[in-house]
Amino acid sequence: MTSQMTENKLSVIIRACRLVRRMLRADPEARRSQLMYYSMLEEYFARILRAKEEGGFLVGHTVFFPAEIIYAMGLVPMHTETATWTMALFTGDCSDILASGARLGMAQEICTPHRGLTGAFASGALPHPDVMLWSNMVCDNTAKSGELIMEVCHCPGFLLDRPFKRSQHEIGYLVSELEDMICFLEERSGRKMDWDKLSEIVARMDRQIELVRQINELRKNVPTPFRPQGFLELLTVDYLFPGQPEALEYLETLHQELTEAVREGRGAVKPERFRLMTFFIPPMYLMGFLDRMSRQFGAVSVIEPFFTYWGEGRLEASRPLESVAMKSYMIPEMRMYGPLDERALNAIVQCVDDYKVDGAIYYADVGCRHSCATIKLFKDILAEKGVPTLVVDCDVVDSTVTPEDEVREKLEQFFELLEER
Amino acid sequence: MANVQDSGLSMLERFREVNRTFPRNRELVEWRDRGGKVFGWLCTYVPEEVIHAAGVLPIRIVGYSQETDLDDGNAYMYVNNCSFSRSCLQLGLRGEYDFLDGVVGGSTCDGARRLFDLWRQYVRTPFHHVLTVPRKYTDRAHMLYHCEVLEFKQHLEEYLGLKITEEALYHSILLYNESRELLRKLYDLRKQEKPPISGAETMEVLNASFRMPKEVFNQWLADLLDEASRSERKSSGRVRLMLVGSVLTNADFVRFIEDQGGMVVTDELCTSTRYWGDPVVLDSGLSLTEAISRRYLNNFPCARMFPSEERFDRIIQAALGFRVDGVVSQTIRYCVPYAHDLPLLEKRLRECGIPMLALDIEYGTSGSGQIKTRVQAFIEMLEAKRR
Ligand code: SF4
Ligand code: SF4
Repeated sequence: MTSQMTENKLSVIIRACRLVRRMLRADPEARRSQLMYYSMLEEYFARILRAKEEGGFLVGHTVFFPAEIIYAMGLVPMHTETATWTMALFTGDCSDILASGARLGMAQEICTPHRGLTGAFASGALPHPDVMLWSNMVCDNTAKSGELIMEVCHCPGFLLDRPFKRSQHEIGYLVSELEDMICFLEERSGRKMDWDKLSEIVARMDRQIELVRQINELRKNVPTPFRPQGFLELLTVDYLFPGQPEALEYLETLHQELTEAVREGRGAVKPERFRLMTFFIPPMYLMGFLDRMSRQFGAVSVIEPFFTYWGEGRLEASRPLESVAMKSYMIPEMRMYGPLDERALNAIVQCVDDYKVDGAIYYADVGCRHSCATIKLFKDILAEKGVPTLVVDCDVVDSTVTPEDEVREKLEQFFELLEER
Repeated sequence: MANVQDSGLSMLERFREVNRTFPRNRELVEWRDRGGKVFGWLCTYVPEEVIHAAGVLPIRIVGYSQETDLDDGNAYMYVNNCSFSRSCLQLGLRGEYDFLDGVVGGSTCDGARRLFDLWRQYVRTPFHHVLTVPRKYTDRAHMLYHCEVLEFKQHLEEYLGLKITEEALYHSILLYNESRELLRKLYDLRKQEKPPISGAETMEVLNASFRMPKEVFNQWLADLLDEASRSERKSSGRVRLMLVGSVLTNADFVRFIEDQGGMVVTDELCTSTRYWGDPVVLDSGLSLTEAISRRYLNNFPCARMFPSEERFDRIIQAALGFRVDGVVSQTIRYCVPYAHDLPLLEKRLRECGIPMLALDIEYGTSGSGQIKTRVQAFIEMLEAKRR
């Protein structure tokens, strides 16, 4: 029964990826990078299925976790929150896994990616990992998620404790945490860390970050060449394929496509009317709808300061572990963890100017406390720059929270307001 | 006064007066009139001794003592953050903490760290500092936290233009340890079959402890202990309870539970046991700042710490030590660290034969009809079990 359900949920994702690829092949306007993206996704989830079937070692891990280490050891990573989002994206309904989380006694306060995730493990909708890794990047939900998962999946686990600030002693602590984690993985999996491979991965990751920076440079153009919600692809590629050859291939292809579009003056939406800044993740089950709305109104997300706007710094292949630690300070989302000081806040101001932003949309996820607590602050900063912010109350995964009509109405009013300005 | 016979304990009045008049309580006003600085701290992982040794009075920032509309808190922090952090922020935004010269926080939970962020932006207390608090107890984690304590000490010295001497630190450690020892004695009284002081009254004492100089507090508490140990007062509660969960400062909520026939004899709250729990151990091998940082990281843990088993073990130890019949857990809505622990804690307690009642509340609540019914049913169940 359990393995049957497991089959089903992952198979649903895999089948959906195949379907999207078929549709894209039939669409003359589809980009080659889009096709690549969906085959990468398909392969990612197929590999998880195969790992269970063929005796591979499956490592569950939470968001922003340095999966470079898992790849370098030849183990199979499973990004747990992305698995939940992807289920929401492709099935549109996560009520079963959320109900399963509730049966475990998980309170409503726990964000749906995590309630759904543990629920998915409990109901067998996701395969049980051999070990669970989690960290306090970027919130209490990630920090507190691991122990119940260990209990539900009967597997051992490791919490990677990422310090809050970035002094030398804190970075040193993180490196020692990574060392401990590698020992833990070696012990549990019987595999050794391949340091050469980690160096190669770090070198590719550095290139990956550079490519995202270059892609963002292209997005500054008017009209902007990248799809309205295309940034989700950039996120997912970073989450699932850090330092992997397929990620580079995808980003290089995308970069080429966007360069060409810029050269030809082709915008992602025609005509481009509103250049938006996006905060947090739009509800997955509304992605198709949001895409249609964006095209209808000529609205496009040109920058996401806390998702695609990488911090300064380079990774060094000769210092792989230190680089993995440093990366956790460069990840755009990690500006939300750590003191919200000028360094974090200036990114917003800089983006408004550089990307010629007309308005901002903040997807206020009801379960995501630490991000929602920044809404007023970000809104005030943007207002000072003359940029209005629309706040859309929603939930990334739970489709019962905000109906499509409500979002439509809010967006229409917001676009009207932008138009008047 | 709950279910304790109402005679005696005149000393309690002093503590109540502090709570009633805070922040205009005499002890605080006199301190400031003498030119003394006051720093507010946001979470129990902030080492008070270091602030005290700098000649500054540390007080705890808490929210409204009663449930209230949190319009400003909601506007600035959004409704999905815990009502404790929203309540604190609202008081800050409305100028109630304008007398503070500094605010110190820790990276403890999302609510606390965002409270610090927004306080810094909108309340603009002159000095602010946030400490990284590791989530583990490993040697490296202790080294990291010690570095954090040293960095904080240095920041204070720079800001205040003074040197925090070893003598001053030593004196502060002794003073705070004395408070802890006195509070431990207060809790020991509650191990009695019919304690002379209720859970609600104990909370009133603790609330005052955050709001006045420890020098005076210790004297008052010694007086209270003397009075309580000689008094004939006896609690008439029918079952012994332990309170666990999110931050709680409203003594009326405890009183409300005691009014239903429970005796709250112990707790694991960060405003109670987790505040005074362990002393700073002065070990010849450790520097004073190391001794302080060890105490704070090893103290009775918050739900944020890993592994949670440490917290569960301490809860069970206390539950057995105080011979409780049941545990009442109260989780403030959107208090994620405690919400996450609930299924595992419930299981651990069940394995030990200790029933648990889990309540969802808002910070500052004094109880409501629905909670009353559930508490009554729980107490009745425990009574039946006892028979
Ligand atoms: S939705 Fe928010 S609270 Fe949940 S895991 Fe993501 S960042 Fe954390
Ligand atoms: S522990 Fe809970 S109640 Fe306390 S500040 Fe954090 S989230 Fe709020």
